[in-house]
Amino acid sequence: MLNVLLVDDDTEFTEVASNIIEFLGHDVSVAANLKEAYEWLDSQPFEHILLDFMLPDGSGLHLVDHLKQLGSTAHVTFITGHPAVKGILAEISGPKMDYLVKPLQREDIEGALSSKPKVKKVAKTSAIKRHFGCLIGESAPMQALYLMIERVAKTSANIMLMGGSGVGKEVVASAIHKASQVHGELVTTNCGALSKELIGSELFGHEKGAFTGAVAKKEGVFERAENGTLFLDEVTEMPIDMQPNLLRVLESRKVIKVGGTKEIPVNCRVVSATNRTMESIAQDNVLREDVYFRLAVFPITIPSLRERKEDIPLLAKAFLEELNIENDCQYVWTDAQLQKLSHFDWPGNVRELRHSVHRAFIMSDPSSKEVQLPSTFESPFSLSKKPNNNVSAGQTIENVEKELIRITLEKVDGNKTLAAEMLGISTKTLYNRLHTYGDFAV
Amino acid sequence: MSSGEDRTVNKLVHDARSPLNRISMNAELIKLILENDMPKEKGIQAIDKIISACQECSHTLQILSAQYGDK
Repeated sequence: MLNVLLVDDDTEFTEVASNIIEFLGHDVSVAANLKEAYEWLDSQPFEHILLDFMLPDGSGLHLVDHLKQLGSTAHVTFITGHPAVKGILAEISGPKMDYLVKPLQREDIEGALSSKPKVKKVAKTSAIKRHFGCLIGESAPMQALYLMIERVAKTSANIMLMGGSGVGKEVVASAIHKASQVHGELVTTNCGALSKELIGSELFGHEKGAFTGAVAKKEGVFERAENGTLFLDEVTEMPIDMQPNLLRVLESRKVIKVGGTKEIPVNCRVVSATNRTMESIAQDNVLREDVYFRLAVFPITIPSLRERKEDIPLLAKAFLEELNIENDCQYVWTDAQLQKLSHFDWPGNVRELRHSVHRAFIMSDPSSKEVQLPSTFESPFSLSKKPNNNVSAGQTIENVEKELIRITLEKVDGNKTLAAEMLGISTKTLYNRLHTYGDFAV
Repeated sequence: MSSGEDRTVNKLVHDARSPLNRISMNAELIKLILENDMPKEKGIQAIDKIISACQECSHTLQILSAQYGDK
């Protein structure tokens, strides 16, 4: 089942088309112009957008730009009745974009909505083990995490995932869902991205006519995740006054749609996530205590990349392998590059590492097999910690140099070749200096 | 045909396709209603919409015929 947004100014068409789309088992929301479409897109994620090319307040292409800004991965199907537009659409069509020409038939809509995204070849060909089909890492903290997932998957307990930004909370939620071997789907919603007005409709669904724009009955995420897993990302960003409604569903396991009166039983495991610490949850009054205890029956803290540095080479290899397959390339890491990656702190965690690998991949020389690593990995959001050099006026150059060699060697676990490379001197010079200063053990 | 005339024809074809699209979709809906034993009132509503769309389409074709019929 897909969450579909239908954007067309022909209201008679949208009425009949939404009936048919619902018949096909999908959820549908309707917008008559770009403004309404933007409002829908800002309030909830859509997997597929059926989009009229010419709208009263602009072109469908404006909406495609808006989707890019939102980082949406929705599939777009343009609908046009204009013969001249057909040629343009044929040119811009791609794996995430296609088009239909009016008059439409049920099979056209059925075909457009069933188009599957390209399946990545990575999983089939990779030699790197992906635990639960998605988690990479063999370090002790990850082994402990796998054990927790394995154990909790056998139960129906609600789980709260904690960890800094970029540690992979959504991937862990997916692993829990897979390990649970449930029949239903994994449904994800970001509580921080929903407006106060629409959060009730997103979570619990709404009846037709419940509010302006509710042209059709809509299932909430609890219903969509029936017999599956509901992942509530950034749960601590949910408005505090909406939390009693969530508590009621968690306690009674029944939802009432917005504008409805009937209680609908629901059955799904709720996995929630936050990047706040336990202290912040307690002190900042972002989550009601009763909601916390319902959501965090089994809390899991996902280790940061700093806590599992030994996994960095494995992750870097996996990300490069994915990019090689996607782009039909053969780049490889050198041992020195993997060591360099391992020595960075990665405050932005796995997400930052993936981003840096991608950037290095783009910068690499196509005529060589070697990846071109930048000299630093700094990003505006995640600067590496500046070392405390304790350099001050009055020190001799000799003392400062000695200290620099000492902390460099400490950083690379005593590897003199690597230290010399980092210091920008030859190994021979490093040995000479160490001899002069009296070799110090690291 | 000049580029201006070309544009007008394209617009009229577009205008004719909109009611044709409604006819097609309402026909599909009727098929679903019949296949799923749904209330016949919904089917009758869809048939009325088809009839109305036929009139609209015919009107657009008449304009097209009046403007370009003799060319």
